[in-house]
Amino acid sequence: MKRFGRSLGLAALLVTALGFPGTAASRFDQKLSVDKQIVHVLNRLTFGPRPGDVEKVRRLTVEKWIDLQLHPDRISENPVLEAELKPLATLQLAMWQLLEKYPPVPPALMVKAPILPLLPPQQISRLMNCSAEERRTTLASLDPETRRLFLTAAPPQFLEGLPGDLQQEATKIRQEEQEARQKQISKLMPPLNELLSPEQIRTANRGTTEEKIALLNSFDAGKRLQILRALPPQSLADVPEFRREAMAARQPQEAVNSELIENKLYRAIDSNRQLQEVLVDFWMNHFNVFNGKGPDRVLLTSFERDAVRPYVFGHFKDMLLATARHPAMLFYLDNWQSQVPRDDIPFPPGVRRPGLNENYGRELLELHTLGVDGGYTQQDVIAVARAFSGWTIYDPQKFAEFQFNPAMHDRKEKLVLGHTIPAMGGEQDGLQVIDIIAYHPSTAKFISKKLAQRFVADDPPPALVDRMASTFAKTDGDLRAVLQTMFGSTEFLSEGAWQAKIKSPLEVAVSAVRALNADVTDTFTLAQRIADFGEPLYGKLEPTGYPNTGEAWTNTASVLSRMNFATALASGQISGVKVDISRFNFKEPAVVASGLLGMAPSPSMLAAIEKGIQGREATPSILATLVISSPDFQRR
Amino acid sequence: MFTRRYFLRCSALAMAGLGAAPSWLLRAAAQDGRKRKILVAIFQRGAADGLNVVVPFFEKLYYEMRPTIAVPQPGKNNGGIDLDGRFALHPSLQPLKPLWDSGELAIIHATGSPDPTRSHFDAQDFMESGTPGRTSEDGWLNRALGPVEPGVSPLRAIAIGAQLPRTLRGSRRAVAVNNLQQFETRNKDVASILESMYATTADPRLMASGKETFDAAKMIESINRNPYTPANGAQYAGGFGNALQQVARLIKADVGVEAAFAEIGGWDHHVNESPQLTNLLREFGASLAAFARDMGDRMEDIVLVTMSEFGRTAREDGSGGTDHGHGNVMMALGGPVRGGKVYGRWPGLEPEQLYEQRDLAVTTDFRDVLGEFVGRHLGRSSDQVFPGYKPGEPLGLIKS
Repeated sequence: MKRFGRSLGLAALLVTALGFPGTAASRFDQKLSVDKQIVHVLNRLTFGPRPGDVEKVRRLTVEKWIDLQLHPDRISENPVLEAELKPLATLQLAMWQLLEKYPPVPPALMVKAPILPLLPPQQISRLMNCSAEERRTTLASLDPETRRLFLTAAPPQFLEGLPGDLQQEATKIRQEEQEARQKQISKLMPPLNELLSPEQIRTANRGTTEEKIALLNSFDAGKRLQILRALPPQSLADVPEFRREAMAARQPQEAVNSELIENKLYRAIDSNRQLQEVLVDFWMNHFNVFNGKGPDRVLLTSFERDAVRPYVFGHFKDMLLATARHPAMLFYLDNWQSQVPRDDIPFPPGVRRPGLNENYGRELLELHTLGVDGGYTQQDVIAVARAFSGWTIYDPQKFAEFQFNPAMHDRKEKLVLGHTIPAMGGEQDGLQVIDIIAYHPSTAKFISKKLAQRFVADDPPPALVDRMASTFAKTDGDLRAVLQTMFGSTEFLSEGAWQAKIKSPLEVAVSAVRALNADVTDTFTLAQRIADFGEPLYGKLEPTGYPNTGEAWTNTASVLSRMNFATALASGQISGVKVDISRFNFKEPAVVASGLLGMAPSPSMLAAIEKGIQGREATPSILATLVISSPDFQRR
Repeated sequence: MFTRRYFLRCSALAMAGLGAAPSWLLRAAAQDGRKRKILVAIFQRGAADGLNVVVPFFEKLYYEMRPTIAVPQPGKNNGGIDLDGRFALHPSLQPLKPLWDSGELAIIHATGSPDPTRSHFDAQDFMESGTPGRTSEDGWLNRALGPVEPGVSPLRAIAIGAQLPRTLRGSRRAVAVNNLQQFETRNKDVASILESMYATTADPRLMASGKETFDAAKMIESINRNPYTPANGAQYAGGFGNALQQVARLIKADVGVEAAFAEIGGWDHHVNESPQLTNLLREFGASLAAFARDMGDRMEDIVLVTMSEFGRTAREDGSGGTDHGHGNVMMALGGPVRGGKVYGRWPGLEPEQLYEQRDLAVTTDFRDVLGEFVGRHLGRSSDQVFPGYKPGEPLGLIKS
């Protein structure tokens, strides 16, 4: 029983009588009126209607407009978007170029970290693992310089249990070292007050965009870079070219991911190929990779561009394979380290034995293909992990290329979901697994259901899912064909699907920006708002991705974030996003509401606004805030 | 056209109620607030490696199966912290040792769910639902709350985070608070109109969430007016510490909190486990200890219990980590807890003693642990919270 069911029985009753979206099967037979169909397809195939979109769809007819969205190559792209993406240089770079140009620590700030001196392994082992007494004698046998180096760089466990004089000596050496490093760093990165006068600091932080640009341009490149490094990125949120330079100088790898986030938001807001962008978001979430895991922060750019985007209207198997081989996924789900267990050779105690890593094998079956109830066992998970052993990465920090390493591969025979993969197979074993699972009936069903959850309803009609799965099976997983089955169905254009979905934070934010026809010059702050909302872009740690259904996004924290986001957006407090509400000057609340929703507002919403403003005219910005915060706007 | 200022003035009446919680509500909450029994649930998402959190250092097999990631025996370099001659805390959990010594910390080993799944997401759903093998819409901690009565606090059940966890979903109102300081409506005049808009919407889901949001925001706004300093020099650590500090703050504000939930993720250590676990447990242990210190005497009415969806393989894997396993460890902290003892039958680590010859077996159902806190601490019927479950032998976790 759902939470609201009991306490609000009366409301629910009323609602049913009024015909509010329910999931009762019969409502999926009732066709929407053409007016509703237009709003509906815009809500589902795009990130929300822009002013003028309703008329566009009406002119073209719903059916033809859907078909066009299914063939993005036939849609000319928005020149505005092209201009927005042009400065994002990292989007086009190969992985090795990104890794070379954008190291984890900026080269200018590379201060040599203390490293352990080169010592014979036995001596190191004695210093690290043996009793305090032995550690002490070994240490005493070193020459003073080596000893100093060792004390500076040794891990903390080395010091435990050592006599006080040695501890003190180590602490002192470390402190000295730390201070020296600090000095070096502050020389490379002087604080703001050494670079600018108090007045200039004020301008840099709170001046207008023009003032900031003028100030920064008044310095030579070297000094400007020092200033940019010292400024918080927020203060540059409306001067994107300087903000990007600043981020690249401070945290190069974060700058790469930040450009990918910009790319996502600009495309969501401005692309004419809206369905393509909705689908890229859907599949990136399906094949989730977390930007906080090592080099994945940088590799994600290629993952989206090369492994996901090209296939969203293609065959599922091709996308699956591209993700399976991509270093971003190999790293995220640890497959690059998985290798054949070697029980045949003895390993000295304390030395890591090679072995399998089940992480990718399990999530491949559970999350990417069959689904948790798709009929696999723990033995299948292990067999899949064995098949993929040796699928690794050639130098993840430097080149990050897919590599099959035969020495890591388990060559024995494997049994995967009833299929025998013969011994001595090599790289082929993984490909065979992809073949087995990409076309598996459970996969057809799992993928179809997930798509229907995104586009139709949280709890989609099983008959529709079955028809989609059958298209999937008949076409070898042709995703465009599966989408056609769904979009062409009675259920998709039915009362049952109407307003049945709650917008995710990304969807709320982007649909509001689109509805307001905002002029976006920087997406940095917008992205932060979406993150505060609970959906940091590319920032989902768990491989499940973000929830595909509404329950997760309707709690108190989420409702409050929605209201506060609307307030900030409509009053122009999100830097880089200039809203244009002049078209609502002197307009009635009903006009503002339908202008933003693309349809007439609900009677209760309008009544609340009219009663709240007590018959007087409120500013367009307040009306826009109310509409964007309203329950009506939270659904699509 | 009217200006914003004019708008503000005109609607001042409508705003009057907002920003301050209705005084009757605060009074009602405060009256029985002080002696209220409170249960705090902590979820370690990602499957914590229980065998390295509370280490069975008497088991030779433990060291054989984990040649590079085992926690050394107590007394050795970087060794565990001896609890009872058999089990040891991971060295990062040093801040919890005083609580063990004073009898406020209990450990329950080889616990978990009878369901065999090794899927994080299913296992979390089952554990949070309290119904292994199936996901129910509502969570065990929501069902553990008393019946809905008029005047009950909007903050009776709180979760810190951007989403309401399944543990707390259900018919009793429960709020998710991402950050107390930001849990305020930014624009009060707009807020009052929105409150009535949400109250009259035909959308039942958003109507319910709207009401909960506005009720909670009013109370939290009044709590936020007083700055908060943790008591007794408590020092919370990291994001988890921040969450626990917010729980502490809400409890100490006497607004009628009965149940609280906080979580800490990042336990899925398939690779290079030791340094990661060391860091994560440092945050975990320091924050739990800080919570107890901050709450001071009020721990007399509080039980805090930790859980994670399943444990990890008894053997280390090929990458210095561990893969998904079965049995795990739970901890319970608080004045009512009969601590200083490791509860649960130890199943052993011989191959035939392991679950499917690879994981620590489960000898204590997690519902036996939670059931005692629900029954003996909160005084609710554990049948309703864990429907259809026949509890095992009482563990005796609560002082009589």
